[in-house]
Amino acid sequence: MDIIANRKIFLLIAAAIVVTAIGIIATFGLRFGIDFTGGSLTEVSYEVSPDKAAVEEVVATLGLTSASVRESVDEAGNDSYLIRTRDLSESERLELSSAATELGTGGEVSRFTSIGPVIGQELRDKAVWAIGGVLLVIILYVAYAFAGIGTPVRSWTYGGITILVLMHDILIPTAVMSLLGLFLGAEIDVLFVMALLAVLGYSVNDTIVIFDRVREQLVANRTEHRVEREEAGIVMADVTYTLDKPYTELVASAVSQSMARSINTSVTTIVSLVALYFIGGDVTQTFALVLLAGVVAGTYSSICIASPLVVAYAKWRGVDVDSVQTTKTI
Amino acid sequence: MTESNEPKTSTQSFLRLFRASIVLAAIGWLAFVVYGPVINPDSTHPFKLGLDLAGGSQLVYEADVSQVDPAEVSELMNVLRDVIERRVNRLGVEENVVYLEQSSFVTEEPIERLVVELPGVTDVSTAVAEIGSTPTLEFKLYDAELDAQLQATRESLDSLATTSASTTDVEIDGELAVVEPPFTDTGLTGRYLESAALEFAGGTGGQLSNEPLVSVRFTAEGGDLFEEITRTNVGNQLGIFLDGELLSAPNINEAIPGGTAVISGGFTPDEARALAQNLNFGALPVPIELQSTQTIGASLGEEVLQKGVQAGMIGFGLVILFMMLWYRLPGLVAGVALLSYITIMLALFQYIPVTLTAAGLAGFILSLGMAVDANVLVFERMKEEYRAGSSSRAAARDGFTRAWSAIRDGNITSLLSAIILFWFGTSLVKGFALVFGLGVIVSMFSALVITRTLLVTLPDTDKKSGTLLAILFGNGLSK
Repeated sequence: MDIIANRKIFLLIAAAIVVTAIGIIATFGLRFGIDFTGGSLTEVSYEVSPDKAAVEEVVATLGLTSASVRESVDEAGNDSYLIRTRDLSESERLELSSAATELGTGGEVSRFTSIGPVIGQELRDKAVWAIGGVLLVIILYVAYAFAGIGTPVRSWTYGGITILVLMHDILIPTAVMSLLGLFLGAEIDVLFVMALLAVLGYSVNDTIVIFDRVREQLVANRTEHRVEREEAGIVMADVTYTLDKPYTELVASAVSQSMARSINTSVTTIVSLVALYFIGGDVTQTFALVLLAGVVAGTYSSICIASPLVVAYAKWRGVDVDSVQTTKTI
Repeated sequence: MTESNEPKTSTQSFLRLFRASIVLAAIGWLAFVVYGPVINPDSTHPFKLGLDLAGGSQLVYEADVSQVDPAEVSELMNVLRDVIERRVNRLGVEENVVYLEQSSFVTEEPIERLVVELPGVTDVSTAVAEIGSTPTLEFKLYDAELDAQLQATRESLDSLATTSASTTDVEIDGELAVVEPPFTDTGLTGRYLESAALEFAGGTGGQLSNEPLVSVRFTAEGGDLFEEITRTNVGNQLGIFLDGELLSAPNINEAIPGGTAVISGGFTPDEARALAQNLNFGALPVPIELQSTQTIGASLGEEVLQKGVQAGMIGFGLVILFMMLWYRLPGLVAGVALLSYITIMLALFQYIPVTLTAAGLAGFILSLGMAVDANVLVFERMKEEYRAGSSSRAAARDGFTRAWSAIRDGNITSLLSAIILFWFGTSLVKGFALVFGLGVIVSMFSALVITRTLLVTLPDTDKKSGTLLAILFGNGLSK
């Protein structure tokens, strides 16, 4: 099936997926963990665990309002409760842990995390700045890589589309995380940010590899026109290119040539992530799942969104993409 | 460069073989070095595991530098780190780490932080108590007026207590005991302390012979302040307070220049030594407040690591299996190159050293993906050439030449991203970025040098010959 010829269908599917993902995030929201909001998380494990109500009562007795208690299983396989409260002081921490461990047999605090609100805020700010910086550099580099090769659209377009595709690839794992939060109570923590950063790297690489083929096709199928003129004694050359084949055809062959590579690279990545999901610890399970969603989205988008989007944009800008007589290119 | 314009001499093939052997030997040697710490626990270059993998606690303190001249902040923070480091060392935790961190320019006002990492410690109460044990030293002046006032209050309260003792709260007695001593602040505190030492009195000046004393030396600024206080208050009493408790209140007989003072308080030699030490260790230059605590059980960290390594090994095995099934002989070469990639990365982790955290492992997985991708890109190009009739060696060389621009662009953007993340990010993001950045560089090396060297060393063939070797250079479902 020719993806470029049927680009409307693929772009519609992509639009539908994006709208669904945004809808999911908007409806169900995201559960931010204490890494971002500040607060304390105490995991108490038991050999024989008490009722959830008993734990909740202890928490309430200590005057810790707006606390939440969630059933869980610790890394050693024992039943445990995750008690999320506001940022606890050292004495409050001691009170809570002694009161909660006494409730069941073999009670033990297996994990305690307390994050001040300022640190959470800072993490958010820094993440936003860092990702903003990365996006800027990618646009600049991709635009630079495509500059001066005679493409019917500006070289900036490729950078811009790389970023659009990237947003698609980030949106889907975020929607998955929203659903995980809804059904399993998973919270957005630092590991999730790491997973998104990894998806970011993967997505950009995937898109760039395909655009590299497009670039190769453009260079291989262009005719150079050189007009020399003399101005104030200096000889200057105006170089323009004419493409020998329709733009759609060039992009289509780039896509079909990269197909095997895209699929093989994805298969290897997916295989290792599936192994991480099933064999790795509970801590990395959500991480693996989010990354998996990102990699699948990244593979799909680099093949079925990036290149169709370039062609659609070129056509919208008035480039005659289906005909051989492409006019002078920039 | 193609095969045709290269003389097919035995020297050429010997050189190829020689280069390949050197590459393999170097990797083998590196693998042996990397494996060292696994069999020898006393190795000088062990893997450093972050708290989330090894288990332990992390305490983050915020320093209040609002009262300090901005120019002095960085110096004072370094002093603070040294003091806290000495205190933490007293806990006897091995491999503890104390470092400073400043919130970046992203936040409006820079916040100075001090981070204490205690591997293996899951009960932070002792540590928090030890770090927080700030012996504050204060010099205060006796205030006769205040004393009289306090005396009056005390008497009236006393009479109140006797009249109402039977009916109302008995706690009044408790409150009476904590009525402040009649002293006023002078501004001279432990902040101006340079050092403290144990001394024994020489038996002069009305002191008992051989009485243990603590002599303190002030900084230049503190010495001036001390001299001024003593000059303007001759005849008054100067109270020396440790942790809010009055130790002694000697009379000021004359102005004391030179910036030294002696604290006597009926100490035993051990008490005096402990006090001198506490003063040396304890004069925190700026107040600190515990802002975040993070504790990861050692068993939790161990499980994460163990399962993570297991998952990594199985995942990696599956990747190599897939590569060998799909790309056959070149796939095997890719397997060797990927193993080299992992070996080099592990060696870097040991020798830089890089502290391994869960975030770092995420970066490692991602860069491993990039390493696989570089091989796949080359093999796909090679496949095109090989099918078109090139000999296997020429196809391999062309494969590298033609895949180069894609590998370059992908890796440069990744490297730039890693640099930016390292620059902006918080310590966790930095851990991810560092490993990812290193991984990108090493993955390029492994694909472009190791895969290439080994691939061109393989015996030459072409598709038309139809031999077993020719089939081994094919790929996918085709013959």
